[in-house]
Amino acid sequence: MTTVPVAFAINGGRVEFRVEPRRTLADAIRDDLGLSGTHLGCEHGVCGACTILLDGQPARSCLMLAVQAEGAEITTIEGLAHRDEPHPIQQAMREAHGFQCGFCTPGFLMSAVALLAENPAPTRDQIRAELSGNLCRCTGYQSIIDGVEIAVRLLATTSDGART
Amino acid sequence: MKIPRFDYHRPESLDEVLVLLAEHGDEAKVLAGGQSLLPMMALRLAAPAHLVDIGRVRGFETVSLGDAAEVTLGALVRQVTAERSPDIARCAPLIHDAAPHIAHRAIRTVGTVCGSIAHADPAAEMPAVALAAGATMVAKSTNGTREIAADDFFLGYLHTALRADEMLAEVRFPVWPATATHAVVEVSRRHGDYALVGLACRVEIDGGVITDAALAFFGVGTTPVRVAEAERVLAGQQLSDDLFAEAANVVSVSLSPGADIHASTGYRRRLAGVLTRRALTRATTHIGGRT
Amino acid sequence: MSAASGLSGLVGQSVTRVEDDRLLTGRGRYVADVDPPGVLHAAFLRSPLAHARIKRIDVTAAKRAPGVVAVFTGADIARLTRPFPPLFMLPGLYTPSFPAMCADKVRHVGDLVALVVAESRYAAEDGLELIEVDYEPLPPVASIAQALSPTSELVWERAGGNVLYDFTDTFGDVDAIFAAADRVITERFSCHRQSNQPMETRGTVIEVDPDDGHLTVHSATQSSHALRWVIAALTGKRSTLSSLRRFVTDTERRRGFITAARQFIRDNAQELRRQDPAGMRAQFSKDRTSIVGINLLGIGLLGKDDYPTVKAHDIGGAFGSKAQVAREDIALAAAAIEIGRSVKWIEDRVENLTDGGQAREEDLAVSIAVDHDGTFRGLKVDIIIDQGAFPGFPAGAPGFTRIIKTMLPGSYHWDAFEVRSRVVATNKGKYVAYRGPWANETWARERMIDVVARTLRLSPAEVRLKNMIDESDMPTAMITGPRVDETMSTKKTLTRAIELMDPEAFENERRSAAAEGRYLGLGMACYHEAAPGHYEYWDSINPGTNLLLAERARATVDRDGAIVVYTPQMPHGQSHETTFAQIVADELGVPREDVRLVWGDTDKTPFTIGGTGGSRGAPVGGGAVRRASREVRQLIVEQAAQMLEAAPEDIDVVAGNVHVKGVPSRGLTFAEIAHEATVAKRARTEPAFDVTSTYRGHTDCGWSTATHACIVEIDLETGLVKIPRYVVVEDCGPVINPAVVDGQVRGGVAQGIGAVLYEHCAYDDAANPQATTYMDYLIPTAMEIPDIEVHHLETLSPGENDFRGIGEGGMIGAPAAITNAIEDALAPFGARVTDQYLPPTRILQLAHVIGHD
Repeated sequence: MTTVPVAFAINGGRVEFRVEPRRTLADAIRDDLGLSGTHLGCEHGVCGACTILLDGQPARSCLMLAVQAEGAEITTIEGLAHRDEPHPIQQAMREAHGFQCGFCTPGFLMSAVALLAENPAPTRDQIRAELSGNLCRCTGYQSIIDGVEIAVRLLATTSDGART
Repeated sequence: MKIPRFDYHRPESLDEVLVLLAEHGDEAKVLAGGQSLLPMMALRLAAPAHLVDIGRVRGFETVSLGDAAEVTLGALVRQVTAERSPDIARCAPLIHDAAPHIAHRAIRTVGTVCGSIAHADPAAEMPAVALAAGATMVAKSTNGTREIAADDFFLGYLHTALRADEMLAEVRFPVWPATATHAVVEVSRRHGDYALVGLACRVEIDGGVITDAALAFFGVGTTPVRVAEAERVLAGQQLSDDLFAEAANVVSVSLSPGADIHASTGYRRRLAGVLTRRALTRATTHIGGRT
Repeated sequence: MSAASGLSGLVGQSVTRVEDDRLLTGRGRYVADVDPPGVLHAAFLRSPLAHARIKRIDVTAAKRAPGVVAVFTGADIARLTRPFPPLFMLPGLYTPSFPAMCADKVRHVGDLVALVVAESRYAAEDGLELIEVDYEPLPPVASIAQALSPTSELVWERAGGNVLYDFTDTFGDVDAIFAAADRVITERFSCHRQSNQPMETRGTVIEVDPDDGHLTVHSATQSSHALRWVIAALTGKRSTLSSLRRFVTDTERRRGFITAARQFIRDNAQELRRQDPAGMRAQFSKDRTSIVGINLLGIGLLGKDDYPTVKAHDIGGAFGSKAQVAREDIALAAAAIEIGRSVKWIEDRVENLTDGGQAREEDLAVSIAVDHDGTFRGLKVDIIIDQGAFPGFPAGAPGFTRIIKTMLPGSYHWDAFEVRSRVVATNKGKYVAYRGPWANETWARERMIDVVARTLRLSPAEVRLKNMIDESDMPTAMITGPRVDETMSTKKTLTRAIELMDPEAFENERRSAAAEGRYLGLGMACYHEAAPGHYEYWDSINPGTNLLLAERARATVDRDGAIVVYTPQMPHGQSHETTFAQIVADELGVPREDVRLVWGDTDKTPFTIGGTGGSRGAPVGGGAVRRASREVRQLIVEQAAQMLEAAPEDIDVVAGNVHVKGVPSRGLTFAEIAHEATVAKRARTEPAFDVTSTYRGHTDCGWSTATHACIVEIDLETGLVKIPRYVVVEDCGPVINPAVVDGQVRGGVAQGIGAVLYEHCAYDDAANPQATTYMDYLIPTAMEIPDIEVHHLETLSPGENDFRGIGEGGMIGAPAAITNAIEDALAPFGARVTDQYLPPTRILQLAHVIGHD
């Protein structure tokens, strides 16, 4: 099995390891780095459960090879909380009863964080459009949209609102 | 659902890319964003023996306005850039308007404009946009550079005029003339899906008269399709609802879209006509002189 | 509210979820996250053909592939396992016994042909590509119509035909009633194949203890105990003879079994007496070997040294699909035992869409005998279910027809009712329970009521109100038998929904929209569902089924005062840890943070045949937990009474402080009481208090009801349907946690919207599945699902436990409300909606905008 070296920053730390070139970024994150908070729902880029932040932008970790992340800065759900203080999106989703089974949750949180970083005051329709790349089978989405709206309010009252 | 084995190449320059393609030809695939290629590999519908990752090649990510006539997008210009670049919005507004229709945000972060064109999915936006805008594909190989007009580029389902040793190094869009207007419209089952039918249209107008029109449909065949019959109906005519209705009818009878589990042939025909009227109306509502 | 204390009053509040601590931070633990040391990875070779004989299979190249550890063919697995036996027996039913994997014949695209175990899933999939199989294609059976044809190829040879179940139930003098009514209106409805599609696919990790070979099975299952028993029964090498010998010679084992069996018979005497032997006769008339098979299984279990431990962790949704014991699980367990190493299989999405569970494909012919004024007289239904190839296990389509039979009359008065139920086998993926597996009774009836109203030029709401069972009629019974008491509050929900929708205002809105070329329609649908139903309800499904209703719970208080509650419920999104803690905290008078729920581990949780499903969580699981907490509270109070030198009835518990009424300052903590109790018992390790209670729900557990109402807007140029307003008025009794209930309702409605407008497990004429990726199986996104208004009525029931289930209702009501609204919107074009699946093409065809080309 041929492997190649890859190095990138993830959740504030730097990692260097060897991977088979065909290994997806999602599998590398979950299995090589042990960050199982990123989930695989379809492995062909539709469900969005594997969404991570790649240099601050949302990306499907199942649709990238690990080697493509060379030099990138990656954030996963495990990197959202700041010194044990939950991210406002996490607080908001808890308050809103945003999710049920929790499987789609990591992808939604990362997409929502990316949205709020760019647009701190999205309309409900904008939230729907931006989160439409993430599938949830439990909730009918309303509680998730509600959660993003709560996060908008929380972020407006915290000083480090742009943090991702 | 895991990707099959391949030999991985990570060249740092265009020359290295071209040497690799010359060496491996049919056995090699260029990996840009991978948003179309990697899912096909995960489903084991594609299994190239060599993957040439162009992600480290410098210069491919640029959008350039070399001369006033063309805007050039390098092989690594992401779809999100096409959506947000003010240069593209001004000089190639069709791409700018079409980009938000491509899948979802997380796909556009990584997916490239050239990759989408080279992949040539007949239901995708970018190939139709290239066709409507009269873009030029710049193919490079160790044998040199070929410029291929959009009209000659799309040959069949996922099949283009690129030879096995060539890569789509850049795509050039003619800078949008002041006399032109445009619209991109599509209907999909869900937000972000491939279109059941879509239309990218460019209409050039002089004094309320259409001087030239390009109607490039996607989702209606094995390639993006221009409907010359309808374009001829429009050319030289005064803008009017009746004219648009006539063009819509011509479109409906000219196209022979296929049926699949998402829509029937009759539906797609009808929808293509509806979209023709909607696109022409949207493209020209701000223009006076309509009868 | 809790009768016992009610002091902390958590029940009824939208308290935040305990589960979210881990699920919002990426610390959930799903089966894909379980990696025992040295675990190997499995991938299945699945049939590319719908129906074929396997002529030859060659796995030599695959065995040599890099990273591949073992390859098993269907024949290999057949040698290591016993076939799945027919469990559910009904008059008129033949259930084929079937193997974990196929040795000789494949019966659908995706059927299991070989299993590769390798160092990684990547290597396992590489191995699959090297397996050579020669198939001899057989004519596929692709539709209900083909299955009914006497010349169609047999999916199951012993069945002698492709109709596996055929039974007619009659209530009242149907012929006389139909002859006497003013008119008979008939329509045929067709529902398409759909799929549960939880975001987490199926998955199982068989962990093999390297020292003693004990299996620990980590699985995304709705019922860990059922999985444990079935794996124990179908795998393992012990021969029947040695099992018998072991059973005879091992006195302790024999006595243990006899004691347990006596206890079971005592506890379930009434249910066991009611079992109908006609079902067994029907089964054995077609396959005499199956009685041998079942007995061999039983004997195998008797001699089993070591049953596996099943552990379920967090589960990413199921919607019924994970109530199945998967054939894959049996093959994996056999493979892991054989090679002596842990094996992990995480189903991929293509596998899930082809073989992870499909549902709902049913044809229904409905006739209603009705008087000119809209009074219902009689109802006749002929229903045919396409179960696909393999029977569901432990329950499948034939069982669901019994629920459909009972529930078809709905909340209305009828003088007579007849239903013929048939289940056919085809070469498709298997039919499983999907959120309200009987839901098409509601769809067909409520669709038909609109057809009747339109035919008679009456308003659909008026026809419903006219025929619906009113509170003043109660107590009464459905024509199919089950008792109807005040919990059947459908009419109250309908009345409220009509107020909310304001049909007159809607007509104005409709007119002004029509002037702009927008077509609006209003649709309603009403139902009551057994959530999970009174005793006689289950009896009417199948005599003796009440066996399933009993559930146990264990409540303990440790020496440090920690309260731990054990449930056989298997939560997978329903928030049991939160809602059960609310119930227990209220019963015990403690903060909910003091309560911990244990579930999913068969070594720790009480046995149940079921698990989580059938809207049983709150009523049955919650009922058991409530009863166990009440009993443990009594023990705490008695111990405290001794310590405080007071009478137990004078003891109060407030916020964890156990004290004599009126003297809170001299109270005791749970820890102090537990410590004292432990000292008294001289026990050091046991919990201080430990109660296991059984809850049967014989007199509680009534109905949940709802009316769904929605407005649709149709674009006649594109065929796209929008839902600008969706209202649910529901009644599940006292709501434990309103946010949880709203979430269940909305999630169900979203699946109903998906069913009508987006989702279809399409098959072509040769039974090839057409929607095997998420590019083609369209789960609606946040852009397609509107905000949904949920209104609660909270009718109390007279029983001990008045929580009623809410998990399934959203999905039951939505397809009918939406299709009714669509027909209403297309009424100007004379459209008659008889298909449940209405993609844009179908909408434009119904409006005669396009033809059928």
